[in-house]
Amino acid sequence: MNRNLHFLFLLGSLLLLPAISQAQKIIFTPQWTPQAQFAGYYVAQDKGFYREAGLDVDIVHPSASQSALSRIARNESHATTLMLPQAMEIIDNGIQLVNILQTSMNSGLVIVSRKNEDPLKQKGMRVGAWSVGFDQLPLSMSIKENLGYQWIRFVSGINLLLSGAIDATVAMSYNEYYQLVQAGMELTDTNVYRFCDHGYNVQEDGVYVTREYYEKNRDKAIKFAEASRRGWEWAAEHPEETLDIVMEYVREYRVDTNRTLQKLMLDEILRLQLDRESGQREFRLRPDMVTLMNQLMIENQMLINEVKYEDLIAL
Amino acid sequence: MNRIMRYLRKSLSARLSLWVVCFATLVFMVTLGIMFVQSRKAVRQEAFSGAEQVLDNTVQRVQSILNRVEMAADQTAWLVARHLRTPDSMYVYSRHILVNNPDLNGCSIAFEPYHYPEKGKYFSAFSLNEDGKISTTQEGNPTYEYFYMDWYQLPKLLDRPCWTEPFADYNPAGIYSKEMIASYCQPIRDKEGNYIGTLSVDISLNWLSETISAVKPYPHSYSIMTGLGGTFFVHPDSTKLFYQTIFTETLEHPDPARTRLGHAMQRCEAGRQQLKINGEKCYVFYKPLGDTGWSAAIVCPESDIFAGLNRLQRGILLVLLLGILLMLFVCSRIVSREMKPLQQLTRQIEIISAGHLDKKLPDNGRIDELGRLYQSFSGMQQSLVNYIDEMKQTTAAKAAIENELKVASDIQMSMVPRIFPAFPNRQDIDLYASMTPAKEVGGDLYDYFVQNEKLYFCVGDVSGKGVPASLFMAVTRNLFRIFAQQGHSPESIATGINRFLSQDNNQLMFVTMFIGQLDLQTGHMDFCNCGHNPPVIVTPGEPARFMPVKYANQPLGIMEGMPFQGESLEQTRGSLFLFYTDGLNEAENPDHDQFGDDAILEMMTQLSQLPSDLVIAQLKAAVEKHRNGAAPNDDLTLVALRLL
Repeated sequence: MNRNLHFLFLLGSLLLLPAISQAQKIIFTPQWTPQAQFAGYYVAQDKGFYREAGLDVDIVHPSASQSALSRIARNESHATTLMLPQAMEIIDNGIQLVNILQTSMNSGLVIVSRKNEDPLKQKGMRVGAWSVGFDQLPLSMSIKENLGYQWIRFVSGINLLLSGAIDATVAMSYNEYYQLVQAGMELTDTNVYRFCDHGYNVQEDGVYVTREYYEKNRDKAIKFAEASRRGWEWAAEHPEETLDIVMEYVREYRVDTNRTLQKLMLDEILRLQLDRESGQREFRLRPDMVTLMNQLMIENQMLINEVKYEDLIAL
Repeated sequence: MNRIMRYLRKSLSARLSLWVVCFATLVFMVTLGIMFVQSRKAVRQEAFSGAEQVLDNTVQRVQSILNRVEMAADQTAWLVARHLRTPDSMYVYSRHILVNNPDLNGCSIAFEPYHYPEKGKYFSAFSLNEDGKISTTQEGNPTYEYFYMDWYQLPKLLDRPCWTEPFADYNPAGIYSKEMIASYCQPIRDKEGNYIGTLSVDISLNWLSETISAVKPYPHSYSIMTGLGGTFFVHPDSTKLFYQTIFTETLEHPDPARTRLGHAMQRCEAGRQQLKINGEKCYVFYKPLGDTGWSAAIVCPESDIFAGLNRLQRGILLVLLLGILLMLFVCSRIVSREMKPLQQLTRQIEIISAGHLDKKLPDNGRIDELGRLYQSFSGMQQSLVNYIDEMKQTTAAKAAIENELKVASDIQMSMVPRIFPAFPNRQDIDLYASMTPAKEVGGDLYDYFVQNEKLYFCVGDVSGKGVPASLFMAVTRNLFRIFAQQGHSPESIATGINRFLSQDNNQLMFVTMFIGQLDLQTGHMDFCNCGHNPPVIVTPGEPARFMPVKYANQPLGIMEGMPFQGESLEQTRGSLFLFYTDGLNEAENPDHDQFGDDAILEMMTQLSQLPSDLVIAQLKAAVEKHRNGAAPNDDLTLVALRLL
């Protein structure tokens, strides 16, 4: 129900996108507050890669009162980052999106148990999941493995787990995972379940625009994707300077984080960008992963229709 | 350094002073060390008690305020439970609690989605106190789905009232502000006891931050407060607030002590932990803040705790150092003053030792060890002077005696023939003689002379040594001359000498003697051996042997009237004879080994072809070598004779 509401907001926003009209202007909204997860875009902006591509890019972050979706709803952004399952859901809901840049090559999703026990062996336990989504993979897995988890939705953070209100939580290996480590939790191979290691390795972050926008601004979108890719490649080569840039954004938005956490996040994000098979930063959507995700989501009634690889990429 | 060492070597007083001061310093240091260690323990214990007391007081103060919030919430929860059927009354209660508790920031009475169908999905009566102006609204909406919030879910999931982690409140513009808020939440249940919603009261924790920050038992100590996840909610470094946890630094630089501290604080334990913060040793005293899950701690740098003690230690050490220097100075002066007589004595001794033995030592009037040393040395000096005087006299007397003995020696030596060749006009006699007294004068004698183609000779050895023996020897030699020159046979000569020597011989001295008469024409030898060593004879082509002597006779001078029997040897020409006294065969080396008869025979065999003077020279050299530096133990007389 909640998810559908978000889609409505997104739908409205995407339909209104053409209203933003300046020749080379692009407003880009990452899906979360400033952090190293978006380092490549900050680098592209700060190092002038967007400018060199002839683009005038504004990076506008969501806030408590202006989530990424609400910004879209208000017709204030052209491009955003989405996780692949999210994008597939949106397309399944009738909004055509184009993946113009796929940054993630692996899944960073994990389930962390409060006790030092294998999450797969704790059937029926309370597991925290974000109220805004990103739960397609955990839900699919728990159904497939017949775990009977009791899902507890929460906005963000790790307090429910720390206080013992829940037994485990879904976390991102680059974000909440390190927050838990920073909170003194001992994370081991036993109490951390990594989806990527159990046949659920599905790509995550990519940059999406509406297909309509793409058709009308193909050149601009391609330039934006290329400059963003350049930003990520530079970040991989200059992690310390990248961290400096990230921290500027973090400070500007007064995010509750620190350089140590952001460093760990950047390292992990960059690691997730390496394709497991080629070891390269490929920046492409993998058809096999799209197929896998389709299979999981259709099995669990998360998709009505299959969202094919061709439906996601620019033709 | 070398100069100091040289000075110390030269100065007894400096060394004494230094030893005293070193020992005193050692005693002081050990004493102070023990005192400092004990003081340190006491100060540490005092500091621990003090810090823990301060922390206790602070925690109690905080606890009392938190209790008040909890009580207010409890009262409101009671009202809410009684009026669940009138949802709009929740607005009144949420407002009412803020009116009655102006220090509360907000209050939410929120219910499960669709709990009141008429209210729809969202129903949360929320009142907000903004600078005394209280507004009340329904806060749930699609952008704020309160039922996903921690404050709502915690009491629901934990099934008990609880405090949320402090969080930074948002300002109306949606930008993070840093007012620290925490919520006390408790579940709302219907009559059946089913959970239906959450009541939450918000309170700004700025007062708590100020209360805890104000705890400063030491100048550089500071207080911190951490939440469930170890997040800093109170910390003097504002950049850490909300951003860092107590574990953050351990992610890159593992620190087991800090990790232990963090876990202990997370477990809501009370205690203390020693660890290094920014390279400085610190003690952290921690205590939980009631049942909130938060923990307050005081960080006290060790340097602060011991600052007073360290100042005292530095002061004491400085005083000690000055005291030691003063002691060194005073001690040096006292020792120097006390040692002054010794120095004077040393100077006096130097003067005296330079030869001024008559230099009188001044009386220093002391009765202590130095005084006695003075007196002893003075007595020693007098004794030395006396002794030297006696020595002078004795030396003079001895010199006179030695001079006389020298004269006596010359006289004695002049009494025996000492000119060689003995008979330069005769080619048939090869004779050489040597007499070496063991002292200035000796008791050996020899003599020879030719008369009427006969060679009279003798070798004798007076009993004893020295002057008495020499006098006896002189008499004996004269008697030999007197009787021999009268043409007597050797036994008659012996009888004549014996008669004279025996008379009035109160000293009971005697003389052994070999008396010979060699016919130079025929080579016939008559001889009389009066208790003397048998001579050695070396016949050409044969090894040396002792001359066979049938009658040993008695030494001369023992008893008057005793008969002496003579013997003869027919053929002596070409043979080498050695007449000697027992200074030869009984010559001793330092180990008292005697030269011996065998050595004499062996040497004589080897030397048989040599002329008599070389035979004597070689024998003397061999004896000298045998002695090997030992003083002569007896007079040595050698006479070598060969008739050609």
